[in-house]
Amino acid sequence: MGKLMYSCEQASKLSSRALEEPLGRLDRSLLGFHLMMCRGCSNFARQIQFLSRASHKVPEALEKDEG
Amino acid sequence: MGGDEDLAKSLESHRKYLMRYAVFQLRDPSLAEDAVQDTIIAALAQRASFEGRSQLRTWLTSILKHKIVDIVRKRARGLPADAMQLGDEDGSSDAWFTEQGRWIDPPADWGLPDAALDSKQFWLVYRKCCQRMPERHALVFSMREVMDMSTDEICKKLDISTSNLHVILYRARLSLRSCMTKKWFSTEHG
Repeated sequence: MGKLMYSCEQASKLSSRALEEPLGRLDRSLLGFHLMMCRGCSNFARQIQFLSRASHKVPEALEKDEG
Repeated sequence: MGGDEDLAKSLESHRKYLMRYAVFQLRDPSLAEDAVQDTIIAALAQRASFEGRSQLRTWLTSILKHKIVDIVRKRARGLPADAMQLGDEDGSSDAWFTEQGRWIDPPADWGLPDAALDSKQFWLVYRKCCQRMPERHALVFSMREVMDMSTDEICKKLDISTSNLHVILYRARLSLRSCMTKKWFSTEHG
């Protein structure tokens, strides 16, 4: 049973891995459950998604430097 | 003949952008200069394959990416064999989590962060935070998120395992997120 509850460390690791590849069904639902219960981890997941979005815009930002 | 001169001229007009791109990735102006030089030489040599296939800048940037990765690989070869592997200090998550795996400092809400993307100041902070990461973390993160390379491609180029890649990206994100919180989102901008 303990194994079915992710710690914040495991949950945040999975949130990061999810940006690279689709998670398996079990991981996905256990992560979803953790994120529902845990404000810190759901903030973390949203924030690394934002940072990914931002990073993809670096080339655009470098163009604007030309100003 | 005239065509070649035109091409040389427009290559020149993109040089500044290519330099900024290369400096961002390599953190070293003279290495960046090498990468850009090689890119322009390659572009002139392969000009037949360009022929309006895409935007010139997009094409040049895709050549530049390969040159940057080549330079990094060459540099990595000069370092100890396992320089791209994880050292002990990277294996532990002590800085962020308790022994029970709980956040020491749980991430607080950033509100609606996308507005920051229009701010010049935000990008300066972002760049500083990237530079705070260990060099190999910053590079892998950048290959993945800025250069938009696939995980397979990164693993092959750097000769690291997928799980190694996941750990590096995870630690890069922990570090970047924490730095951005301190330097941007908990200040008056955030």
